[in-house]
Amino acid sequence: MRGGSALPARLIQLGFVAAFLALWFVIGRTGAISPLFLPPVEAVWSALTALVQTPQFWAAVQVTLTTIVEAYLIALALGITAGYAITRSRFATKVLEPIVSSIFAIPITLFLPLFILLFGIGTASKVAYGAAYGFFPIALNTIAGLAGVENHYLNAAKSMGFSHFGTFRHVLFQAAFPVILTGLRIGFFVCFASVLGGETISSVSGVGRNIALSAELMEPARMFAWIAVVIVAAILLNGIVSLFENRMRKGPA
Amino acid sequence: MPAISIRNVTQRYGEPGSPQSVLAIDNLSLDIARGEFLCLLGPSGCGKSTLLNIIGGLMAPSEGEVRVQDVLVRGPLPDRIAFVFQESTLFPWYTVAENFGIGFKYSGIAKSEWGDRTAKALSSVGMAEFTNHYPSQLSVGMRQRVNLARGIAAGTDILLMDEPFAALDEQTRMVLGEDLSVLLAETNKTIVFVTHSLAEAVYLSDRIVVMTARPAHIKKIINVSEPHPRLPAFMLQPRFSEWRNECYAALRDEIRQAMAAAESNGDPP
Amino acid sequence: MTLSDANIRRPAPTPCPWLRLSGTAKVAWTQRFIVTAFLVIWEIWARVGGDAELIAPPSAIVRALFANILSDPDIRAAIALTLFEIVVAYVLAVLGGLALGIAIGSSTISRRALYPIVLLLYAIPQVVLLPLFTLGFGIGPAAKIAFGFSHGIFPVLVNVVAGMQNINPLYLKAARAMGAGRADILRDVVFRHMVGSFFTGLRLAMTMTLLGVILAELYVSTAGVGYFTKLFAETFDPAPLFALIGTLAAMAIVLNVIVRTAERRLTRWKG
Repeated sequence: MRGGSALPARLIQLGFVAAFLALWFVIGRTGAISPLFLPPVEAVWSALTALVQTPQFWAAVQVTLTTIVEAYLIALALGITAGYAITRSRFATKVLEPIVSSIFAIPITLFLPLFILLFGIGTASKVAYGAAYGFFPIALNTIAGLAGVENHYLNAAKSMGFSHFGTFRHVLFQAAFPVILTGLRIGFFVCFASVLGGETISSVSGVGRNIALSAELMEPARMFAWIAVVIVAAILLNGIVSLFENRMRKGPA
Repeated sequence: MPAISIRNVTQRYGEPGSPQSVLAIDNLSLDIARGEFLCLLGPSGCGKSTLLNIIGGLMAPSEGEVRVQDVLVRGPLPDRIAFVFQESTLFPWYTVAENFGIGFKYSGIAKSEWGDRTAKALSSVGMAEFTNHYPSQLSVGMRQRVNLARGIAAGTDILLMDEPFAALDEQTRMVLGEDLSVLLAETNKTIVFVTHSLAEAVYLSDRIVVMTARPAHIKKIINVSEPHPRLPAFMLQPRFSEWRNECYAALRDEIRQAMAAAESNGDPP
Repeated sequence: MTLSDANIRRPAPTPCPWLRLSGTAKVAWTQRFIVTAFLVIWEIWARVGGDAELIAPPSAIVRALFANILSDPDIRAAIALTLFEIVVAYVLAVLGGLALGIAIGSSTISRRALYPIVLLLYAIPQVVLLPLFTLGFGIGPAAKIAFGFSHGIFPVLVNVVAGMQNINPLYLKAARAMGAGRADILRDVVFRHMVGSFFTGLRLAMTMTLLGVILAELYVSTAGVGYFTKLFAETFDPAPLFALIGTLAAMAIVLNVIVRTAERRLTRWKG
């Protein structure tokens, strides 16, 4: 795919969003769909503008962001450490990697009630849940990256007399970096989505909780406002992460 | 009448006169006789594969024409010309037998003949037990053998081969080269064979056309007047080395020129 | 012992049985050992040190499985209903993804125009739409099927479109050289290649469908599996909760294995 096709794709996406909003507006005017389910776009807009001015909004956003960051940092630390430790021996890799990927084959979502049982309904359970979920792609990709470093690179380093740390820094880490980076990216979005999911299903605070609450209280405009906030945040995050990743990849080229 | 007649073929990429315009082939003319094994030998990127594609009708030349058995080439002629490409082009989702069948279907060969032709072609390359295997179950060398057999099984008078052994290691190449020579001695096909390997060119061909670096034209034509079938002992003869040295002498400057041109373009070597 | 005794050749002592195992057998036995050790440690710790209201030992979980879960017709019905929802959502997602994928991927124009929209939608964490789904579809199976469908359709769609695109140009060249026409190429090369990609997407589709249905089930705490997880979480005996989740996890594993086996069977040519 040529690089020039990035711009038309963005335009199409913008066009789609514009068309979507226009359709929404028309539906609101004609009343084709019940406003209890789909309030008119103007109502959602005013709910949104009202919402972002309340301190409760920013408190909720802060709760969710903190939870996500905490979960991700834990997943990062544990995932990379585990991945590194496991790949120190070929035997350990053969034994443990299938175990880790088999556990990941079970939808971790099933364990959410267990996390809530153990950590309570507050943010701690969401941090644990998010960390547990995000751990897997990071660990598995770290294992894949480090275990997949081809022998001839390691032999070259050995023949040139690299120290243990030197081999890690100049060979292992560099060769494994792209794969690990992908794992870090996936891990982040997994933490993001799972924390939001945990908050939506069972929580007392945070963005997800507010979405569920607005639904319960039959305040559809407010709910859509919150959803819009999440969607915009997700798209922005995606964009930032892609930019960051491209910049990182162009480095060692 | 020559089997293949190439007349004043010129191939240009990009708009004529523009700075991106590249002259790949420059006014090349050549006659190839029936039953001849002709080799196109030249540096990387000189246009040998392009010329082969033009002969086979996969590409139209910017200028000039190609006639095959006095028929003007305007597109693929699957009943007269068969291709063997560098990498195995066996479709991975079909078994070996089904791959042969597909080729027969496109060239309009009757279904009743498929079984026989397939069996014969596969045994001639020693791959008869793999008729119902998938390509992924075969090694690279085996796949290329089957690929070769498919090209021969098409039953065409003309076979165009684009570096068919390039993806193989040296030893497999040697063995397959010997097998190919024996195989083709039995048929009377006209073969145009593109290769990088000097030894391969001398071992297999009747004539070797040494091509220049881009823009390609014919630098030298070397006649290898060794009778067929060629035997492995041929490689040990002094005349083999003489012919090979003749190729190298003609080719050496062209290789350096092609590498220099690639570097100045920023192409990887 | 005399010198002559020392010269008598004795048979070499048999190496420890561990060393006689092949590499793969060693790996397998180590894994079994790890899993067993984990269960044993869990059992001991839960009985001795753990909070009985929070952690149940494996033995209690197994007991609860038979006493509370499998013997209760309401719970069995809820699990069966969840299974039903997963299967229906999966079939719909696969068929829908295939149809939509072929529609989008079959022409360069439609692909360039529509694919960016697919990617945009893929970036949104669907879980925040869950309350919306229940508002629209109610709290019954329909919402769960719909949510599972909207998760599962994406991998199929993406794989089908990719399968129609990323074809090695050498295959197209070879087909043309053999005399294939446009329709021949579409049927024997493009479509076949796409099918391979499609089957690979089926596995991820099951993972995503499972995710969607389970999220929806857990969210709705007034009926179905979600009701029982909430119920058990609020008692002082965690064993039934563990048992219920374990049952669902086993179901998920079995479904994954089925799909993976089917995929391997159907893409045998991929090697």
